[in-house]
Amino acid sequence: MGIITVLWEKWTEFKRDFYKITMAAMVSPLMYLVIFGLGIQTTSHGEPYLNFLIPGLVAMSTMTGSFSAVAQNMSVQRLYEKALDQIMVSPTPLWQFILGQIIGGSLRGMYAGGIILLLTMPIRTGLVFNGLSFFIMFLNGTVFSTIALVLSFLAKSYTDAPRYTSYIIMPMSFLCNTFFSTDQIPGGFRQAVALLPLSQASGMIRSIAMGVPEGILPGCMLLLAYLLVFSLIAVGFIYRKKTL
Amino acid sequence: MIELKDLTKRFGDFTAVDHLNLTIRTGEFLGLLGQNGAGKTTTISMMSTVLLPSEGRILMDGVPLTRKASREKRRLSVITQEYSMRQDMTMSEAMEYQGRLYYLSRKEIRQKTQELFAFTGLTDFKHRTVRHLSGGMKRKLMICRALMTEPEILLLDEPTAGMDAISRRQMWNLLRRLHSQKLTILLTTHYMEEAQYLCDRVALMEKGKLDIVDTPGHLIEELGSFAVDIPAEDTLQSRYFADRDAAIAFLSQAGKEAVLRNTNLEDVFVERIGRGIG
Repeated sequence: MGIITVLWEKWTEFKRDFYKITMAAMVSPLMYLVIFGLGIQTTSHGEPYLNFLIPGLVAMSTMTGSFSAVAQNMSVQRLYEKALDQIMVSPTPLWQFILGQIIGGSLRGMYAGGIILLLTMPIRTGLVFNGLSFFIMFLNGTVFSTIALVLSFLAKSYTDAPRYTSYIIMPMSFLCNTFFSTDQIPGGFRQAVALLPLSQASGMIRSIAMGVPEGILPGCMLLLAYLLVFSLIAVGFIYRKKTL
Repeated sequence: MIELKDLTKRFGDFTAVDHLNLTIRTGEFLGLLGQNGAGKTTTISMMSTVLLPSEGRILMDGVPLTRKASREKRRLSVITQEYSMRQDMTMSEAMEYQGRLYYLSRKEIRQKTQELFAFTGLTDFKHRTVRHLSGGMKRKLMICRALMTEPEILLLDEPTAGMDAISRRQMWNLLRRLHSQKLTILLTTHYMEEAQYLCDRVALMEKGKLDIVDTPGHLIEELGSFAVDIPAEDTLQSRYFADRDAAIAFLSQAGKEAVLRNTNLEDVFVERIGRGIG
């Protein structure tokens, strides 16, 4: 029930800010597509670079869409509007609130990823996006929604949300298998980057898109592990943090 | 009944509330008074579980009030000092959100929103975004939101702060009406006349500690029901008398600028809490 309430709240926000949300989800991936995919035409592993880029952009958009939907919103609600107090006082179980935020954030991420798919639909790539791709997009979104929740509980000021984007989301966008394969990163650092959730999500979505799904089970397990760890931290915060 | 037992809240080295022991009886209207920084808002925040106590606990009819205590929280409504609500929602959406958080049906939400908006004169503004409301309207919306869930216990943190005189009187009338319906109310306020007019008992807090809990009438009586104000060059001194004749006798010797009046709760507050103020 509490989950539905949070999803309703997210839905009203989505309806109200539809154009803003859609534009924000479109602009930077579209730029990347134009510059790297169409402007600088090249190949990767014998395939047009666009075929490498599109699955990475889908995963990246899922990440940024989910993260920003939760991080900004929650930081403002907690620190500026004090609207989180309304939730804390209410009888809605707080774990349901957390779960609603995670699902709602992930759906917003899927919307952002879906926009990339729509934008690239006219381009003949032969890439495959199926139910499994959407499941991984959803899973990726839940991971980054949960990370955003944890960070928004740690934020000291509502201006911290854009900082988190600069320190976490932006480096991940560039390093984690979006624009180039993690294989090209020097050893040691490569293994660390490959374990990050976006690298996993990009890799899985790309392998499905290329028609040769590989590493799906371990990849999903790793994403689930991230989801579990950050969910537990978020739930721990909301129930136990002395000063929210 | 709500019991605060050894309730303590520390922020680093600063103790905002220090081993507070207080009982709010069922159906009682209790005022929590104190200077800025006395710990009133921190106490309300702990009672609404927004803050967790560093020590001590809160019991509602013997059941600990925690963030997990959904059944107990269902009985509570809080009107915070700040406008704690989503600023980008319309008033109707803000009400629906509250109703959903308290598991009300959509029909109930619609009906109660209509009633409460009509009662507070907000009907014409129901589609207005919270961000674009005046302070007084936001305060009214918070009242609607709190009453929508038909609470048994109402926690009010300076609900009339910033209100004009007429709105304040309307609020007082509303609170008296709610109290007559056996609602338990805890009110923090800076306005002593408000506490004197509304509260069955008042608790005076000073630097996080409880100074005294008693009825306004008894506190006034203890100080002396009659006051004589003697204006000096840059101060106003008051003397208190239990007996009217003694006050009049003092007045006749005190000079022609001295004034006789009834003692009020503000005198009690200044004498007990404001001792040593210039």
